Amino acid sequence: MTETITPRFVATDDPRPESVRPELEQIRRKDGDLMLTGRGGYLDDTVLPGMLHAAILRSPYAHARIRGIDTSAAEAASGVRFVLTGAQAKDQTSPIPHYFDPALVGGRTADFRPLAVDEVIYAGEPVAAVVGVTLNDAEAAVALIEVDWEPLPFVIDAEKALEQGAPKVFDTWEDNAMIRLPFVEGNAGPIIDSAKHTLEGELRIQRYQTAPLETRGYIASWGTDGRLTLHASAQNPHPLRSHLSKTLGMPENQIRVIAPRVGGGFGHKFHGYPEEPLVALLSRAVGAPVKWLETRAECMLVGAREFIHRFKVAYDEDGKILALRDRIIADIGALGASGGWGMAFIAGMALPGPYRVKHYDVESTAVVTHKAPWNGARSYGKESAALAYERIMDLVAAELSLDPAEIRRRNFIPPEEFPYWTSMKHLDSGEYAAALDHVLKLGGYDQLREEQAQARSQNRLVGVGVGFELTPEGGDFSGTLLRGFDTSTVRMDPTGTVTVLTGVTSPGTGNETGIAQVVAAELGVSPHDVTVVQGDTDRCPYGYGNFSSRSMTVGGAAALLAARDVRATLVTAAGVLLETTPEQVRLAHGRASVVYEPDRNLSIEELTRAVFVRTLAVHGLDQAQLESTRTYAPSNVHNVPDELGRSSPYPSFPYSAHVSTVEVDRETGLVKLQNYAGVHDCGTIINPKMVEGQFLGAITMGIGGALWEELKYAPDGRLATKSFKHYLMPRANDLPWIKVGHEVTPSPFAMLGMKGVGESGVAGAIASLANAVNDALRPLGAVIDQMPLSAPNVLAAIRRAERS
Amino acid sequence: MSTSQASNLSPQSTPGRSITLRVNGESRSVECHDRQLLVEVVRDQLALKGTHVGCMNGDCGACTLELDGQIVKSCLMLAASADGGEVNTVESLGSPDELAPVQEAFWNNDGFQCGFCLPGHLFAARNLIESNDAPSDDEIREAIAGNLCRCTGYQSIVCSIRDAAASARAESPRASV
Ligand code: FES
Ligand code: FES
Repeated sequence: MTETITPRFVATDDPRPESVRPELEQIRRKDGDLMLTGRGGYLDDTVLPGMLHAAILRSPYAHARIRGIDTSAAEAASGVRFVLTGAQAKDQTSPIPHYFDPALVGGRTADFRPLAVDEVIYAGEPVAAVVGVTLNDAEAAVALIEVDWEPLPFVIDAEKALEQGAPKVFDTWEDNAMIRLPFVEGNAGPIIDSAKHTLEGELRIQRYQTAPLETRGYIASWGTDGRLTLHASAQNPHPLRSHLSKTLGMPENQIRVIAPRVGGGFGHKFHGYPEEPLVALLSRAVGAPVKWLETRAECMLVGAREFIHRFKVAYDEDGKILALRDRIIADIGALGASGGWGMAFIAGMALPGPYRVKHYDVESTAVVTHKAPWNGARSYGKESAALAYERIMDLVAAELSLDPAEIRRRNFIPPEEFPYWTSMKHLDSGEYAAALDHVLKLGGYDQLREEQAQARSQNRLVGVGVGFELTPEGGDFSGTLLRGFDTSTVRMDPTGTVTVLTGVTSPGTGNETGIAQVVAAELGVSPHDVTVVQGDTDRCPYGYGNFSSRSMTVGGAAALLAARDVRATLVTAAGVLLETTPEQVRLAHGRASVVYEPDRNLSIEELTRAVFVRTLAVHGLDQAQLESTRTYAPSNVHNVPDELGRSSPYPSFPYSAHVSTVEVDRETGLVKLQNYAGVHDCGTIINPKMVEGQFLGAITMGIGGALWEELKYAPDGRLATKSFKHYLMPRANDLPWIKVGHEVTPSPFAMLGMKGVGESGVAGAIASLANAVNDALRPLGAVIDQMPLSAPNVLAAIRRAERS
Repeated sequence: MSTSQASNLSPQSTPGRSITLRVNGESRSVECHDRQLLVEVVRDQLALKGTHVGCMNGDCGACTLELDGQIVKSCLMLAASADGGEVNTVESLGSPDELAPVQEAFWNNDGFQCGFCLPGHLFAARNLIESNDAPSDDEIREAIAGNLCRCTGYQSIVCSIRDAAASARAESPRASV
């Protein structure tokens, strides 16, 4: 049963059940003891009997025709069991369904297969696969495959790809623009044209990715009954199964997808990759389990977040933004079936962020190029929008000599205007200025400014940067298998232990711990007595897995609803056994007791046992089911446009405020991050330690993306960044102590008032650092609008300013 | 599920040898190829899956273990060169029922999320505390700088190591100098 919950709590009460309040119980991460002792059980740790290993030949060309392919030497090599080419794979498959089909929003689309057939459209595209007894055998044989290549013209720059006569990625398309997505309200054009004060600018954001420490992998095995099992380090096992069933043309219930413990997801493990069906085909051909594990270099092929913004704003003397225009270009690579291109949609939709801008005209154009396709990356385009609106705030503030904090206060949507409609978003609730004020206090903003003034008087380049991000979460995209609702089962057994089976998954964030907490609180048991099962399509209810920071807000809420059903049976039975009414029964600390008469009690184990062994044998004991399955759907989703044509796929809108200080070395361009503070509001918090961990991880990912991380293509169209020696992620000694604070503005629409945590922090960190570095460079008259804020890019900006 | 399979062992392809290691306190003889890395032998032949692979390039530290008392990145070592050596993997630090203090500290401080990076951080933490039981935050950050963690942002790892050092101090207070 799908159910929409109306708010049960008013914002001023602490809506959490008593026993999940942190001051009452500190709970440690579930399975921590296993993970700490090397018993985590990740994909790479799975060994099936007789398992063979696959390696993939990838295109060395950005664009080329395959005139012929000779696999005979590879087939004859030692330890080789099977070689598969694109033509053979095509015969056995239908196109891989899109994670998020562009056609749903009017975009152009294309078919993708496990292996390229006649033509490759990016360097790194899979061309052939070898199964070997060992991985070494398979890799050695890959080198023996001979392909007759005819290199073709290619384009790896989105703006060039839009030019007349540019090489096309897809022959059947008129040009390389996959879609132009408008997000418009009011009359931005005329206002900008006639405004007294306007300002324009450009931002260029590099290609970078999330690089989870565990790369992707799959193990396929076919049972003698013809059933396929795919172990996959994947974030959405059920939708992956649905899509595999289409690709392989077999009944979905004949496929089992098992996602073991995942070593970091962040969007990289959304599905739609060619290797998913590929491994299944290989395993079927050799009649043995086949494993493929992504190498780090293969992992780095996956792109994301490469955008150009060209904006123009009109503002008044007080710094109020009157109108905003932004033309966004997203270089989405060669499209693919995986879930990345949608970031171009969100990058447009997320504008104008937390600001009350009534006239805007945003257009986001997703452009295909001969680079590897995108997949999701934590923040999913919201980081791109935030960088734009936060740079705009600072640029306007500088024009008017206003403090960056002040201009934000003047433009924030005020608390009393919620819920608030803006560009495909129905904002739930927010106290934006409170979060900003909190972070300014936490970060010691006034003192930072004083220190900056002092540093400037000594000719040092010190900058302070404010960043604010609005993070739409819990997305619900009708027409896709990315839905906002999810399902959980709660089951109690005769000995009183609890099992939760849920459709949401954990990419390593630990939401199973939070889910166990809310269920345990409802049933009066310890979270340790609750086992949470995720990621197994044979055991768990159909669900949408992990994306959009939704696991607690929907999976946890569904589990809570189901737990309430079980609780109702328990208190009824306890009422019979304790000779009281169900309303007088309290479940807590492993016991059912009578309110105000705690001596009349029995253990939860005695109670559940009684339900199983004595129902229908004791008068009044007539409900035997200690199990319930519930679906929770967030209530602030507006898929059906209202009378004004407004719709909103996201139900909740957490946000965060950031302030950082940097010092730039004038001679080298090196940026040193000196101070950082962030304040986060994700509504109700279930487990503060874990929320803080998510926020810190997100901030750090944002810092890496702002300062160092970049996937660089060489002029020959090949990816030059292949290892962590070139892809520079933050290390512990790169970072200052990050001060973290929390505000709690519950969502009036969501169960327990939760808004979701996980993504929020990336975007604000990027924005804050871009503002800080630009602030540092101001005395030189230098502006940096090319990300990352790496030493070469900063130095180039300094040199440019010196020349002019 | 079998764990005894030597998935990277293919007798035909490269010359091999038998090596003897003392692994987590037990003497083990394994067949390996000359080109096999220590991490491969530990994971595949010895079926100790707690040592992880994040890069195979010496960059991330997920494959950290202890060889002859030194912490090493086992993806940078040929297994054959460890012949006769004493290997301790993350599995040796403690068991779920009996965690080492450093493991308790990581758990108490939420010093990990997905857990994939733990081998590097746990060994680096232990190593640091053995030589310096009152490390500053900067010393802690330097000590773990050879490891990558993509989930935590390191701060909770720093707190974990602070805590582990404090409990080490409580265990055996040093004579004041
Ligand atoms: S796997 Fe050895 S350092 Fe990364
Ligand atoms: S906890 Fe995931 S990489 Fe460190």
